[in-house]
Amino acid sequence: MPAAVRQNRVTLRKTVVSCAMLAAALLLAIVFMSLVGSESLPVRASLCALASFGNSTCGLTPDQFDILFQIRFPRILLAAAVGGSLATAGAGYQAILRNPLAEPYLLGISNGAAVGTMIALVFFGANEWIRPLLAFAGALLATFAVYRLARGRAGATPDRLILAGVIVTTFLSSVIIFVTTLMDATRIRSFTFWLLGDLSGMSRGILPVTIVIAVAGALALTLHARSLNLLMLGERDAFDLGVEVSRVRVVVFVVASLLVGSSVAASGSVGYVGLVVPHLARLSLGSDNRISIPAAALGGAVFVIVADTLARTVIAPRELPVGAITALIGAPLFIYLLKRA
Amino acid sequence: MPFVPFCGYCYSLVLLAGVIRRNLQTAICALLLAATFACTATNHSPPDGPVTRILTDDLGRTVSLPVKVDRVISLAPNLTEIVFAVGGGSQLVGRTSYCDFPPEVKSVAEVGDTIHPSLEKMISLKPQVVLVSTASQLEVFTQQLQNQNIAVFVTDPHDLEGVFRTIQQIGNMLGRREQAAILEQTLRYRTNAIEQALKQKQPVRVFYQLSAEPLYTAGHDAFVTDLMRRAGAISVTAEVPGAWPKYSSESALAAKPEAIILPTGGSMGAANATVTEALRQSPAVLQGRVYKINDDHLVRPGPRAIDGLEEMAHALHPDAFQ
Repeated sequence: MPAAVRQNRVTLRKTVVSCAMLAAALLLAIVFMSLVGSESLPVRASLCALASFGNSTCGLTPDQFDILFQIRFPRILLAAAVGGSLATAGAGYQAILRNPLAEPYLLGISNGAAVGTMIALVFFGANEWIRPLLAFAGALLATFAVYRLARGRAGATPDRLILAGVIVTTFLSSVIIFVTTLMDATRIRSFTFWLLGDLSGMSRGILPVTIVIAVAGALALTLHARSLNLLMLGERDAFDLGVEVSRVRVVVFVVASLLVGSSVAASGSVGYVGLVVPHLARLSLGSDNRISIPAAALGGAVFVIVADTLARTVIAPRELPVGAITALIGAPLFIYLLKRA
Repeated sequence: MPFVPFCGYCYSLVLLAGVIRRNLQTAICALLLAATFACTATNHSPPDGPVTRILTDDLGRTVSLPVKVDRVISLAPNLTEIVFAVGGGSQLVGRTSYCDFPPEVKSVAEVGDTIHPSLEKMISLKPQVVLVSTASQLEVFTQQLQNQNIAVFVTDPHDLEGVFRTIQQIGNMLGRREQAAILEQTLRYRTNAIEQALKQKQPVRVFYQLSAEPLYTAGHDAFVTDLMRRAGAISVTAEVPGAWPKYSSESALAAKPEAIILPTGGSMGAANATVTEALRQSPAVLQGRVYKINDDHLVRPGPRAIDGLEEMAHALHPDAFQ
């Protein structure tokens, strides 16, 4: 048996094992975080109702049943989809830009999606399909803007990329401030909350879309993981090894923008997920994208579920924006990684 | 009867005296009253030079003002409404873009919005005093305004008593104490009427939905929490800290409100006209007890808050007003 094939088998086994473990962690997070909230529910009955997929009330009162299945459970699923999307997108950007600091929030791509969402809200009201669509368009535009700005004669150096991200972020922030100034006062408060990332104000219609995009996006990027591995050697070397560099780049940019767009349309800009989670995945499982991308997707889901559970319980019955929690965890880690780099 | 200083007042007094000549006692009373007002009137125009007086605002700051104040800027819609309600509309020289009532206010110059008023515009209007409703606005421009000899007066009512106090303060400041007293009496009378009618009523447990997505409500410090209590309601979020907390959907559902109040239709326009998804199965919705009340009557601690009080009371307890 040739060494390369054996190597592939080892990788495959490692992928399957680590993904199975992370999937189990995700399942546990979904179940156990469903038991925590500003209202306390009976644990045994809730577990029984969850195990029956909502077909049996298991002695929960109608109100408790509604709290569990109408409010808490969908919100946890949304947290999982948003976390998975952002972490996958982060892993994708980091691989294609060959930069460990590439992250949707820091590169201004989340802001691009936010501008798209705001335009959708201002001009198209609450239409649930136009919101993610324009968010995707905004994210894609911001992605290409950052990419063009970052590519100098010497290629996209880490410094240049971060600089480009800062420029795009601040420019789009001022666009956002401009639009909020034009909006009436009553809506500004909900917008500032939403801009920080917030999972509470979601409408039911958007949840299936977000989940489908998260799963499809993670699969799409995982299928391109081998090309991304080769691209990490450099674009020229990857091209010599048979990678269609520009096609892969377009695919990754479009898929990542789609992931960022759908999650921002659903929950605002939840920061640092795309940075923290792929880094942890690489630190623990190595830098092979075939493992780290699916691992980041699952880990991101767990991370945001836990962060959002904190957001809705720390000062209950009041709530914090989940973006504040992810940033509190993410920013110190970002500093640590910068110092190490 | 509107009050006209000096000679205008004398004419009306002559008329009044003619009408009541037959009743000596009343005539004496009227004369005494007239004397009192005449005194006040004389006090208001001192013989030589501008004389200042010291007022204390809601933050306990002492504010030095000219005795005769005739150029005022209001930086809050409720304060603008109070200025007009005490008859001081002609003394108002500046307002924010949110000040949209009464309709006459449109002819008063705009100085920007509540959070970012234009200092230049304010200074160019040469006000003697700027009325401010939140302390957060204060630090930014107090110093700059004071350098221009413009006083800043803070008044931030958190309940109906606070509104009455603000009416007195503004009436006093603008030399319209009598109108302010009459306004306060009328508003107190209407408030008492509502409270009397609801005396025997069991309070309704109400959820106040400020916005649906994300879910905001009225907390302990909100003006409308006091208003709801007087309207025969108990806000299920009355003890939540803060004025406008973001609220957990599941706690709102678990509170099982008997009625829901949606402030909408005023400055909010068509926004906030539907109940949040979490409460679609609440007792309030199932029994059709969702009430849309003009938001301007609920969130502006001014004279129209009594309209809001009456509207809420009639909606929640229709049987008490038959």
